[in-house]
Amino acid sequence: MDEDQSGGGPVTPSVSEARLSSVLGTAVDGIVVMDHQARILLFNTACEKLFGYTADEVRGQNVKILMPEDFALAHDRFVSNYLTTGEKRIIGIGREVRGKHRDGREFPIELSVGEAVTPEGRQFIGIMRDISARKAVEQRLAQAQAQLVSMTRISALDEMGAAIAHELNQPLTAIMLYLQAAKRQASSGSGADSKLVEIVDKGVNEAERASKIIQRMRRFVEKREPERRAVAVAPLIRECLELVTLGNACDGVAFAIDVEDDLPQISADPVQVQQVLVNLIRNALEAVRAVEDKRVSVSAGVRERDMIIRVSDSGGGVPAELVPNLFKAFSGSKKKGLGLGLAISRSIAQNHGGDLAVEQAGSGGGAAFVLRLPLSVGRASAEAQDAGEGMKGSSE
Amino acid sequence: MVVQFSDCAVPARCSPGRRGEAQVTVHIVEDDPGVGDALALLLRQIGHEVAIHPDAESLFEDPPPATQDTVIVDLGLPGVSGVQVIRWLSRLKTPPKIIAISGQPRQVIEKMLGDDQPAILLRKPLTEEAIVRHL
Repeated sequence: MDEDQSGGGPVTPSVSEARLSSVLGTAVDGIVVMDHQARILLFNTACEKLFGYTADEVRGQNVKILMPEDFALAHDRFVSNYLTTGEKRIIGIGREVRGKHRDGREFPIELSVGEAVTPEGRQFIGIMRDISARKAVEQRLAQAQAQLVSMTRISALDEMGAAIAHELNQPLTAIMLYLQAAKRQASSGSGADSKLVEIVDKGVNEAERASKIIQRMRRFVEKREPERRAVAVAPLIRECLELVTLGNACDGVAFAIDVEDDLPQISADPVQVQQVLVNLIRNALEAVRAVEDKRVSVSAGVRERDMIIRVSDSGGGVPAELVPNLFKAFSGSKKKGLGLGLAISRSIAQNHGGDLAVEQAGSGGGAAFVLRLPLSVGRASAEAQDAGEGMKGSSE
Repeated sequence: MVVQFSDCAVPARCSPGRRGEAQVTVHIVEDDPGVGDALALLLRQIGHEVAIHPDAESLFEDPPPATQDTVIVDLGLPGVSGVQVIRWLSRLKTPPKIIAISGQPRQVIEKMLGDDQPAILLRKPLTEEAIVRHL
């Protein structure tokens, strides 16, 4: 006879069974009880939903019926090993495993196993939770993060290519023009030096070759236009926060999202905009790491024909002397990284017809980065896209 | 008399500033001394009268370019920008020919120019052929 745990005295077996039956039937998690030979003794309602079998169908069967083949093969060995050696592989530990539905479909479950010594021998109780939804979210975030990493690498290459092209342009222009002037000089008049002309000509050819490399590099970088589509800003911001918090230690940081109701969608490349926001939020997170009051907030609202997304923090702000070069490639003051993050972010904003700016004293007391993106593709951007490779009236 | 270079069959061989014609000057507004000097050297060899200005301010200090002149202006000037120079030149009563030059990426150029699109824009690195074609 059982003792009533509430102190109400002894209870009859039928009361105890009814209580157990109610607990098993109500539990959200799947509960399976098996004996030392791995035969199923008990299979609750949640388990019936989880695996597609009724309790009557599985009672007495080996628990392997609920496992994919690779797990099932090892299971008997695990049980036997535990019973002889006492070495625990899962009991009292819990782990993520895969279950197998009646229809053959496999799905991830979080399993914890307990043990009970009963008059009928040792029994094992497994409690299972379907984590398919959580896994799907994790997988989606991991994919988004991988996509971001890849995009960031491409953008870093673009930014570096553009910076190199720009920096080399000036001296290369001077070299080309000097050589062309030298060639003219050497070939003019009665004292023309044909050997010198030939040498300078070779120099001109090589400078032209370098020039074409720069032009190709620039064309390669510039042809990457954003892949625009209608983007809802609020879910995008939320996903960015999830992405940042997934891979970073955010203990003690208070995140806030302040997004106006009924925000219109923007015409943008969601991966690129996400890249900018993740970069800004990560920077904000880093800025508050050393301060006591750690706050990071992201707000979004419409101003005239633009979407304004503001990422502010309660960190130390951006020192005034860093502001002029803050968005230039390779100018970062961080010890790690190439200092391309903000340069890339601004390039992305500008490619979208918008811009990225910094406010030294944001609403959080630290820095605030303001991303401006047009609600729709503007006239200037449309013209630029129509113009394709070249620019209006330009030639190379 | 205004020399119409664009009517020349082979512009590179046109001889600006011929006897009896108005003096033609190519103004170079370029802050990079190497580019400015090399460009001036080449243009002088071709036969042009050249004035170099390291910035917009020094261009403004001199008498405004004449209508037969050409102004080659770098967009990325420090101080008063190349775009402001283009705007100023375009509003002259008899504006000169304007050739904008830049080594910046396309998006940056578009942002700098806005609606002030010059008739001719050459992107660095420059070649003799590209410049002479427009003179």
